[in-house]
Order: sequence, then C-alpha cells, then structure tokens
Amino acid sequence: MTQAFPFLLLPHLWSSRNRARRRKKGDVLRASIFGSVGVVVCGALFAGAYWLTTKLAGYEEFGDYLLRLGLSWLFLTFLAFLAFSGVVTALSTFFLADDLRLLMGAPVSAGRLFMARFTRTVGQASWMVIFFMAPILVAVGVASCAQPGFYLTAALAVVPFVVIPVAIGAGMTLLLVNVLPARRARDLLMLTSLLFAAAIVLTLRFIQPERLMRVENLPDVTDFFATLQSPITPLLPSFWAGEVLFAGLQGGSDLLHGAALWTTALAFTVVLAAADRRWHFAGYSRSQESPKARVTSLRIVDAVAHALPLSTVRRQLLVKDVKVFLRDVSQWLQLLPLFALVLLYLYNFRALDLERIPYMSGVIKNVYALVNLGMAGFVVATVAVRFVFPAVSAEGSAFWLVRTSPVSMRDFLWSKFWTGLVPMVLFTEILTISANEFMGVAPFLKVVAAVAVIFMTFAMVGLAVGLGARYPRFGADPNQVAGSYGGVAFMIMAVLYILVMIVLVGWPSAMWLFSRVRSYPLSASREAMMAVSFLLAAGLSVATWLVSMRSGVRALDEMNR
Amino acid sequence: MIAIEELVKQYGGFTAVDGVSLDVKPGEIHGFLGPNGAGKTTTLRMIAGLLQPTSGRVVVNGHDLAREPEAAKTSLGFIPDRPFIYEKLTAGEFLTFHGGLYGIDGDGISDRVHEMLDLFELRRWENELIESFSHGMKQRLVMSAAFLHRPRAVCVDEPMVGLDPRGARLIKDVFRRMSERGVAILMSTHTLEVAQEMCHRVSIILRGRIIATGTVDEVRRMAGDGDDELTSVFLRLTGGSGLQEIDEIV
Repeated sequence: MTQAFPFLLLPHLWSSRNRARRRKKGDVLRASIFGSVGVVVCGALFAGAYWLTTKLAGYEEFGDYLLRLGLSWLFLTFLAFLAFSGVVTALSTFFLADDLRLLMGAPVSAGRLFMARFTRTVGQASWMVIFFMAPILVAVGVASCAQPGFYLTAALAVVPFVVIPVAIGAGMTLLLVNVLPARRARDLLMLTSLLFAAAIVLTLRFIQPERLMRVENLPDVTDFFATLQSPITPLLPSFWAGEVLFAGLQGGSDLLHGAALWTTALAFTVVLAAADRRWHFAGYSRSQESPKARVTSLRIVDAVAHALPLSTVRRQLLVKDVKVFLRDVSQWLQLLPLFALVLLYLYNFRALDLERIPYMSGVIKNVYALVNLGMAGFVVATVAVRFVFPAVSAEGSAFWLVRTSPVSMRDFLWSKFWTGLVPMVLFTEILTISANEFMGVAPFLKVVAAVAVIFMTFAMVGLAVGLGARYPRFGADPNQVAGSYGGVAFMIMAVLYILVMIVLVGWPSAMWLFSRVRSYPLSASREAMMAVSFLLAAGLSVATWLVSMRSGVRALDEMNR
Repeated sequence: MIAIEELVKQYGGFTAVDGVSLDVKPGEIHGFLGPNGAGKTTTLRMIAGLLQPTSGRVVVNGHDLAREPEAAKTSLGFIPDRPFIYEKLTAGEFLTFHGGLYGIDGDGISDRVHEMLDLFELRRWENELIESFSHGMKQRLVMSAAFLHRPRAVCVDEPMVGLDPRGARLIKDVFRRMSERGVAILMSTHTLEVAQEMCHRVSIILRGRIIATGTVDEVRRMAGDGDDELTSVFLRLTGGSGLQEIDEIV
C-alpha cells in the first residue's frame, strides 16, 4: 500500500529523535546556550511589542490606525525574507539534498515527493520568521486584551502567509534550475544572495529610517508609514494577513482577506505542484550532472605567495588554503550577508544626525568608538567561528597528506593562523577606521581603537585556530564544525574576551573622554592607571593568542601519537 | 527484464553515453565493464531513474521508465557506487523506511527486515546508528535494502568495492541465488575476475559506446585470442596497458 506523503518525512523525525537520545559531548551545553538565547530574544520581542501596543492603545483611533499599519508592515517585512529563504531552501530540498538519490530511485510518485519536499521547504524556510513573529503577535494580543479567538486567527493567518512567498521562491528555483545554462547550483545561490544583500541595502535606503530620528519629523510618524503604502499594497498577502489579525484583535473576523490568503496559498501550491511534475526531474537531472567545472587558475595567488618571504611548505599550504577557499563559492558567499549587515551598520550611524542634539553629540560620537570596537570584536568572532575555527577540520579526509609529510604540526597550524589573520586584520581595520572617521571621533580614540582591534584580531584568530585544532571534526560540513562543541566553546570564550577588552580599553578611554569634556587635566596617577589598563588589555590579547596556538599545536602533536 | 534502447546522454557538447543498447534477460547476471569515465555509472543512473536520458528508452520488467516510472522502479533494485544512507537512523529503521518507499508496511515489514538483516549478517547491529558502521557494513546494508522488496531486476554499481573476502563471497552467493530465482542483474565492475567468475554475459563500454557484448568466451574471440584472461582481453579492447610508458617514466 502506498503511504501518504508525511511518511517521506519520517527519516528526519527519527533522526532527530535518535540524536536526542544519543547525545554527544557538548550537546546539552550547546542546546542550553541556544535555548537561553532563544528565550531572551523571545522575551525581548514580547516586551517590546507589548510596550509599543500599550502605548499605541493610549491614542484611541489613531493608535488603532497605527497598530493596523504596523501589523501589515510586520508581515511585509517578512514577505521578502520568506521568498528569498524559499529560493535558497528549495534549491537544497528539491535539487541538492543527498537523500534525493535514494528517493528519486524509489517508486515514489511525483506528487507525494513534491508534497513532502514542499512541506519541508516551508518548514525550513519559515521557522525563523515564525519564531520572531509568535512572541510579537502574542504580545499584541495580550496588550490588547484580545479574546482567545485572536490566537487561533493568528495561527490560521500565518500558515497561508508563509506558504505563499515560499511557493513563489520555490517556483523561482524550479525555473532557474531549468533555465540557467550554467547548471552549477551554487552560482544560483550566489546570484540570489547578491540580490538579497542588494535588496536589503536598497530597501533601507528607500525607507530612510533616519528620518524618524529627526526631531521635526517625530510627530509625523503617519507620513513615514504612509510612504510604505502603495497602490499594490492591498494586493499583497502581508496586507491581507494584517487585516485578518486586526479584525481578530477587535473581536471580529475578516473572512474576505482570510479567504484571499487561503485560496492564494492553495492556488500557488497547486500551480507549483503542476510545474514540479513537469520540470522537476529535468532540473534534478541537470543539477547532479557534473560538467567540466569552471576552473579559475588564480595565478595571482601563486604570484603573491612567491613574493612573500615564506618557506616552501608554508607557501604551498597558503596557496592551497586560499585557492580552495576562493574556488568554493558556497564558502565566501556566506560573507555577503555579513558585509550587508556591516554596511547597514555603518550607513545607519552615518545617517544619524547627531548635530541636532548638540549637548550630546561629542560624547555620543566618542562613546561610539567603543561601541564600534565591540562591534568589530563580534564581527571578528562571527567570521572566525565560521571560517577560521573550521580551518583544521576542513583538511578533512586529506589531512593524512599533512600528517604523513615532513611538516611539523607547528608549521601547519601557524600557516593556518597567518592565512586567517591577514584578511581579518585588513577587514576589521578598514571597518574600525572608516566607522570612526564617519563619526568624527577624537584622534586619540581613533588610534586606541585601531590598535586595540589589531590585538583583538590576533587573539581571536589565535583562539579560533587553537580551539579548532583541539576540537576538530574532520569530514564535517564547515557549518556543522562551527556549531560543534568546540565552536560553541570558542564563541563563549570570544565573547568573554571581548567584554573584558571593552572594559580594559573603555575605562581608560572614558577617563580621557570625561577629562576632555569637563576640561580638567589628567593627573599622573590616572595616566599611570590608564597605561596599566591598556597594558593589561595588550597582555591578555597576547596571552590568549599564544596560549591558544600552543595548545592547538600540542593537540595536533598528540593526535600523531 | 532490463532493456535499454539507443540510450544517449549529453552534457552540453560532451556525449557521455552514445546510443547504448542492452538486454538483460531474467536470471542473467550481466557484467558491465569499461575503463573509468567510459559511461557505466551514467548508464546505470539513467536506468535507475536518477538521470534523464537525452534520448533513448529504458524498460524494466515491461514498464517504460519514462511513461510508468513508479511501476518500473517498483520492479528494480538499485545499488549505487556511492549510496545515500541516513546516518542518524538505525539499520532497522532504515530498512523499514526503505520498505515503506516500496509499499511494504504493516506486519510483513518487520519479518522481511529481519530476514534481510540475517541474510547480510547485520542482525546484531539492527538497533545501532548507521554512522557507526564500517564501509563494508554500510555496503551490505544498502544491498539488503535493494533486495528487500523482492525486485525482478537489479542494477548494481561496483558491488565489491571495500568488502572483505567474507563480505565479497556473501554478495556473490546472494547474486547467484537471486539469479537462480529469475532476477536479472546488471552489474558494473572493475574487478574482472568477478565478472569472469559470475557473469553469464558481459558488455564492454568505451567512450560511451558498447564495443563488445556476449559471453566471456565470445568476447575473448572478438579480441582475437580465445585463451587469454578477461583482463588481457579488456586491455586489448580498451586501449592497451600503458606498461611501456610506465617503464619510461619510472
């Protein structure tokens, strides 16, 4: 007897159950850290949404109007994300997933396979949106003293709302996989990621959120929201979902927009299923063909490596690491969203018109230098856990080459360190210097931040390389390596280190700043304390760097015994 | 039982499989031989329904794969060279799921799973996660999955790779027993001794084309020497040993 499509989802459920039953070292720690972060985020979202809703409730009809627009805007924000997420997830679930090799060879009807894959795609693409949206909607309901029916309405509105954009995204993937002459699916991913990164920047430029910060504009928030409305807004599922929820909040129901949501979701699913039946096998077949891969010779890497004063061993290790990284589009592609976020970060601060608050602008600008230092530290930690920490694990099944060759583990690990350090220092220095330049930070703090960032980068790259060697996971996907026990341990240590550094650098900087603001000279004892604090920061960084590297080398040496 | 007619697969301008036709009768073990990159795996993946042919036809147990894919796949067991297995499932769970894919469920599946685990000497590991299995154990698990639904035809890509002598012997015995029961087996292999020992007929593919088909004796005669080992015949048909060049380099 043919089983219904949910049967095809069973291996994932069984796998999760087995994973939970047979926990590995660090699983509980990782789950509790991620769980705590999740609870904190949910709590913050709930509190923020609750506060905003109660404030709006104080404005009677005007508040209702803003709440209605806000709900529509909330859904609109998630609409583009869901469509993009649908494209990327469908590429994986419909075309690149390993288990397709098993399922496509089995007598599973196209319709069943589609339903199982689409269910998985919707789940994977939307869980994060639902995670963010749920506490907000619950908070809106609680703050508005909504009836229980509101929560049921919310659940019934969210389901078709997430299905529609994900179906559009999956349809785009189906089309692109069949149409693009270059069948390499990763190129597709690159294209969509670039588009998404560009879309974020453009959207934020278009919305110009900094206008809200202008004092003369503050009462005119309605104008801001009105700019988000356009003639096509009522045609968007985000508008329908907002209307359905708003009606639910008022204790009524909006059957028209509810029906629009459900019928559109069903129609899109049916159309996508038909398109899938017609084109999926052709697309899948194309996606697994292994044509001659485009090889970029990257001669410049060889040229640069030869120009550097390196031993042959270190030069070859460097060339190999750089070429492998640059040729693996899926690796460096993951930097794009990070760059987009950093650009937004810089843009937002550039756009802040602090001169309008003259009595504060000087202090805020200079405090910003410290905030920026912390931000640079977190960027380094994030990039390091994803790209530097897995450096040893990335050797994978080819690590025997290094272990059987006359290369010391010390040489090997230090090569990994320098390969990770150089781009990281360049990136963080550019980030820190340009951000402080934008803000017009005082020269003294500019120098402090620029020097501190160098020390922090040395320490965190060393920590990542060292812990990566202590806790390698050969053969695992770099994302899995980053999320492993060692990766989580690195993040905890890195965050602690950043916090200590901010204190050690921030405290003397604050002393200097206040002496300037209040125009009193620094005493010799205070200057000495400042120097001690800076020296402690430098000492901590150097110790973190060298101890981590030594520990990593020792771990690799012990592996050979 | 497995019939392919004028099968072609092109990747852009490159033709990987160029008009291959084969007919594997019920009870026949058919060796599919050829050097690396000759088109063996591509052909088998098209028969299994994993790759779309550019042109040509695949028929399994009388069902056209393009028109009746589910019926054709129900009759077929496929053992790929690089199989996918859910690493976080136990052997028992994997086989139960696999049986479900082929419509075997209810009370019957448990007995059948145990039969296959016994046959392939994996019963002790029924409740162990597959990720802890050795390569040979995984290979045997994939074979038990392929035979679980009692297929009428089997396509197998490099079955002996990574198996110890005991495992290899087991697989050979299973294939022989299946063949005696009328199962058609199309087996790609580089191990020419295995082909010589087990196959009723062999086909040799080179650059996407079948260059010789017949019994091992018939193929020997085609190569011009009736007494040679299959290895020599294979090398002669596919382009020499290259030993002279090796001597020059070494």
